[in-house]
Amino acid sequence: MKRNYKNLLATITTVLLGMVACGQNDNEQVALKPPTQQEVKRVQPQTQQPEPAQVTENTRQTYQWYCAQCHGIEGKGNGINAKFLTVPPRNHTKGDYLETRTDEQLFEAIKFGGLSVGRAPCMPAWGHTLDEDTIHSMVRYIRELCQCEAL
Amino acid sequence: MKIPAFFILIGLVLLPPVLASAGPLQDKDCGSCHRLGDSEKKNSGPDLHYAGNKFQAKWLKQFLQNPEVIRPAGVSTAPGFLQGSSGNPHPSFAEKEASALSDSLMGLKVSGLTLEPVTTEPLSKGKRAKIKYQFERTFSCISCHQSLNLAGKVRGGISGPSLINAGNRLQADWVVNWLNTPEVYTSKSRMPRYKMDSATQIQFTQFLMTLKKENMNRRAAGGK
Repeated sequence: MKRNYKNLLATITTVLLGMVACGQNDNEQVALKPPTQQEVKRVQPQTQQPEPAQVTENTRQTYQWYCAQCHGIEGKGNGINAKFLTVPPRNHTKGDYLETRTDEQLFEAIKFGGLSVGRAPCMPAWGHTLDEDTIHSMVRYIRELCQCEAL
Repeated sequence: MKIPAFFILIGLVLLPPVLASAGPLQDKDCGSCHRLGDSEKKNSGPDLHYAGNKFQAKWLKQFLQNPEVIRPAGVSTAPGFLQGSSGNPHPSFAEKEASALSDSLMGLKVSGLTLEPVTTEPLSKGKRAKIKYQFERTFSCISCHQSLNLAGKVRGGISGPSLINAGNRLQADWVVNWLNTPEVYTSKSRMPRYKMDSATQIQFTQFLMTLKKENMNRRAAGGK
């Protein structure tokens, strides 16, 4: 009985030592082995990155319908209201100012109005009129008009 | 013989409603420029299918006799709007015709619409200054609408209808409803949507109702 007990204990000890060693070895092997193509695919984020906003026909029509009243048909800041405003509407075809503004600042100016970004109160907030996708596309359209990007 | 008699009978049944619908608005062909019903759409004149909700009868009658320019840049749906074309001047009518037209227009209302009555008690000087500030700076209304400043001078853009005589022209309860639910009246306006609370809408309306042509400082405005 005693010999059997000793044999059993020795076997368990050997198995346990073997398991720990295998585990360490396995880890080392995973760390050293380059990931397979399947594993690379598995770690890619599930959600797609948002598509950058596009200027569509709807963007241009929206600009003509709302913005052109002050900023003009071609975005030159000469809309029908322009000469009656205390602060002239922004000329969207001039890059020298617009390149100093980030896309986020332009987005906020459209969504929350001129005052929200420390500019003229003549520019109303369009956040309850235009959805965010449309406002993003308007920002892209302004970038198209000024042929400029944020510095 | 029986068939013509049948058609005459049908004609007699249908004719009275047709005759009843022909009135001063049809006689003057108002529908060629203005939308008078729920379905038709016109581009050259403002929609009038809710004239009875919107206008004050007294002003309407005066306007039809002596039309004044309300939209200096023309109607916002007209093709030449963004070029600053103000369109053709509105025809004027004799007093009797104007009265009949006004009565017909005041009968044009949005079906099933009940407007909450709004008290138009005068604003205190302080409240008026506060709302004027919001009108000009918070909501930027002055960029598109002409109004009167505290000195009675005309100020503001021209793409929206002039508000210098809003207090005589518009019904207060309509103004509140327009600010709240413009989609009841038009599917797409060039005016931004605002989320105003009810108290601000009412104060805004009270402010607009203080804008009257007789308060205009003609000398300051450059008039004679």
